[in-house]
Amino acid sequence: MTGGIVLPPPRWENYILESGSSLVEFFRSHFSTARDVCFILGKGFDPRMCSGVEALIHIGGKGRRDVVLVEFDEGAASPSNAYQGFVDRNLKQLQGLVSEKAISSRSVRMFSDDGRRTTSRSAEGLFASSAEFKPYGDVVVDISSMPRGIYVPLIAKCLHLIDTSGRKDLNLHVIVSESPHLDRQIYDEGPDETADYIHPFRGGSDREGSGKQPRVWIPILGEGQVVQLKRLYDLVVPDEIAPLMPSPSLDPRRGDDLAYEYRELLFDQLRVEPRNIIYASERNPFEAYRQLRQTIGHYQLALAPLGGCLSVLSVISTKLLSVSALLVAYELKQARINIGIAHVESQGYRADESCLEMKNSQAVLFGMVLTGEYYA
Amino acid sequence: MRESRNPFRLRASEQIETDAMFIRLFEPTMLELLPQEGLWDRPQILRSAPGAGKTSLLRLFTPTALLNLHTLRTHDFGQALFQKLSTIGAVDENGPRLLGVLLSCARNYASLEDLDCDASRKIRLLYGLLNARILLATLRGAVTLKRLDYPAGLSRIELVPKSEQKSEEVANIPTNGKELHDWAMDLEATVCDAIDSFGPFETSSLPGHDTLISLLVLNERELHIDGTVVADRLLIMLDDAHKLTQRQREKLFPTILDLRPTNGFWIAERFEALTTNEMLSLGATQGRDFGAVTLLEQFWRQYPKRFEHLVLNIADRRAGAALDGEISTLAGCLGDSLEDSKGTAKHREILATIKDRVQQTAAGSNLFADWLTAPHLNEGTVREQAVAWRVLEILMQREIGNNQQAFDFSLSVNELEKKDGSDVRNAADLFISQEFKLPYYFGPSRLAALSSSNVEQFLRLAGDDFEELVAQALLKKEPLLTPERQHAILVKGAGSFWKDIPRRARNASEVLVFLDSIGRFCRWTTYLPNAPYSPGVNGIAISMADRERLLNGAKPRDAQYGKLADIVAACLAQNLLDATLNYKCKGVNWMVLYLNRLLCAHFGLPLGYGGFREKKLKDLATWLDPGFREPKKDEPLI
Repeated sequence: MTGGIVLPPPRWENYILESGSSLVEFFRSHFSTARDVCFILGKGFDPRMCSGVEALIHIGGKGRRDVVLVEFDEGAASPSNAYQGFVDRNLKQLQGLVSEKAISSRSVRMFSDDGRRTTSRSAEGLFASSAEFKPYGDVVVDISSMPRGIYVPLIAKCLHLIDTSGRKDLNLHVIVSESPHLDRQIYDEGPDETADYIHPFRGGSDREGSGKQPRVWIPILGEGQVVQLKRLYDLVVPDEIAPLMPSPSLDPRRGDDLAYEYRELLFDQLRVEPRNIIYASERNPFEAYRQLRQTIGHYQLALAPLGGCLSVLSVISTKLLSVSALLVAYELKQARINIGIAHVESQGYRADESCLEMKNSQAVLFGMVLTGEYYA
Repeated sequence: MRESRNPFRLRASEQIETDAMFIRLFEPTMLELLPQEGLWDRPQILRSAPGAGKTSLLRLFTPTALLNLHTLRTHDFGQALFQKLSTIGAVDENGPRLLGVLLSCARNYASLEDLDCDASRKIRLLYGLLNARILLATLRGAVTLKRLDYPAGLSRIELVPKSEQKSEEVANIPTNGKELHDWAMDLEATVCDAIDSFGPFETSSLPGHDTLISLLVLNERELHIDGTVVADRLLIMLDDAHKLTQRQREKLFPTILDLRPTNGFWIAERFEALTTNEMLSLGATQGRDFGAVTLLEQFWRQYPKRFEHLVLNIADRRAGAALDGEISTLAGCLGDSLEDSKGTAKHREILATIKDRVQQTAAGSNLFADWLTAPHLNEGTVREQAVAWRVLEILMQREIGNNQQAFDFSLSVNELEKKDGSDVRNAADLFISQEFKLPYYFGPSRLAALSSSNVEQFLRLAGDDFEELVAQALLKKEPLLTPERQHAILVKGAGSFWKDIPRRARNASEVLVFLDSIGRFCRWTTYLPNAPYSPGVNGIAISMADRERLLNGAKPRDAQYGKLADIVAACLAQNLLDATLNYKCKGVNWMVLYLNRLLCAHFGLPLGYGGFREKKLKDLATWLDPGFREPKKDEPLI
């Protein structure tokens, strides 16, 4: 029997997170000197697809502005196919912002030949070596129009490549355009029959050798995901559940509404102890990162007599909070602590077309720097 | 985690945390699913749609469950189960006689297929992982069964050769429990670390095996602890085999057969693992490859009364385990009669309406003069009279539609009595409930029928009923659900089930269109004024010859049916349709496809089996696109 596991010092105790006009100011200052930028974004119908690259171009500054467009084909049955017109519109907008020769594309293979999900492994393989970032001083990943199954492994791989390259002058930015209103209008449809772990965050959960260790599951809750939550539970089969509620939130009632929405599943079926619920700001992924770390640390300590625990995170909430789960998982994985990210992919997305016509005025652009010169 | 207020919500076996609670909730009738022969010495396959109870059944044979059962064998809830398991040799008065090893295939096996290496290397890695896990789980199970500490107890295990060692592959496998455990841990960790790392990585150095040497080890060696055999029998159970890829299943299953395991080997999987052709052949392939293939839903469909007994007993066990424990039986809380005073008043109005309508239909003709004076029309309760008059109305419609009726001679009461069968009465009952919005889906028997032989579906419906009963008990009201409330709860449940289909099935949008077509067609046919297929239609049938065309689609003209075959297979995999093969009718063999009984409630159809209409493939193809369209003539009554 081994003892409890001590978590490493928090890598993102101090962090850079800006939004709205502050982000524009930060970019203006950061890009005031010549910098070559690799900008990675997803090709999709979301009207926020180009808002990040648009902000960057408008700020100006010298240096290359190369764009890597991540393409993903959700299959013939995907409801997203109905919005091809919006994808074309976004693409046209992108071509208006940067020259066509600066745009390259890479494809994520969503399914294997026999119809299995291969999304996260394929996304992790989009960049194979740090040499691909050699010409650049900044890598910006805009996750506004990427599914979680793509951006989580993609950002993790970028971090890994930069960390192992030893370069301290290469900055990794993650930006996301958040709009609670728009997010409510775009929802996933046809979730996969079963959940799976996002590559490379299986976290030892499926090892027979760790079968005796208790499992602690921390789902980060968002609206309309009851089916996904059930499927995640079926995958994880946890011994303890500590749901994370977004609070404080722009809508002060959001936490209550979520508790009401999930009451049957959480309290009747899964019998979650209300005192296990943790809270973190919906707009600060680094605060959620701290809360998640703290919770995992507590469970590791409490369960030390049993050899510690296996921790599994799941995000069925906003992209900002997804980043917090990614940061915790990446940091603990580097420290060789078992942690998984369980996830349910969906066939595609459905949206109210009128909301896709909307201008982005209600959306707020968030930007964070995960590694690079600011952390040197 | 807290005690459960509504134990019906604990649907999956995994949600029941303690083995003591699991034993308390487990209904022994489930064991009837197990084949009578070859249980412990021939590979067995259990197949079903999700929620039929496979994992619960397997969990029962794990060491902790058997140990708990042995401890609880004198309690009311444990006696029958202990008896049944004693009979099949899994346990006796001294304790468990069986070491059950349960492994889930819902792990990272499928992701091996995504590695950048050749197919044979992937299979070697698969066997390597399976070997490591089978041996690790067996060792841990042995320690648990003997109530030793894990991992300290491992060093007391020895794997003693049963006779002279035969296989070269096992020669280098450690014989001491601790050493074998460390060997298997290393093997698993090496492969898993590689799979779960940032790529690309070198696969050629990863360890693997050419076959399931773990089975060879367990065939040829016996597990001893402190010199004594651990258990009389060893049972390996692979759950969720549908999670393996098609190629892995195609390799693994024959390998298991080739190794001829001398221990029990059970495989449980969902239908979704099967190809379209395999799905359309369900029930036709039993016993071909393995000792037995048990199809859970099909088994219970053969014995509907036993299934009703099973689920109502499950309900009572769940009700008894609730936090407040005020409701000990569910069936006793479900009112199943419409004959109360409120119902009588309503039926009086119904009777008057139907009588009036019948008399208007009969006016101006002598044909039904005698029928209108039949004595039984005015006998019995008001409800019985209303049904009798509604039967008369249906039979009159049949006579009116009969083209051979040439003369206006009055039909005799004798003829009426001959035609007045239980099927027409059931149709009349259904017609009345639909027309006058009376409850139809109520009572324990219909609740069980609506489960479509699926335990999880039953728990979902019964859980909704129980929720309301708990609320009534909380308000100090008598815990009794009226037929009206039951009907409303079940129809709402049916609506949720329908809405949930896009989240469950492959090709969800087409599946929904197809089922909607079947449902609307059945409804249209059922509610024709003369109820020609009384008591109603809730299924369709294609000839076995047409099924063959769906299966192979070999001829170019049949290629158009490929999509239809996939949709039917997807429906069968999720228990949305239920197939009966080789059903003889009108001199032809048919494949009958019945709607899930909960979908019958969604479309307002009867719940009995036997009411189906034959269809051609070309008709069914149009039900996918644009969908069934109701003919203009012969407008339905409702």
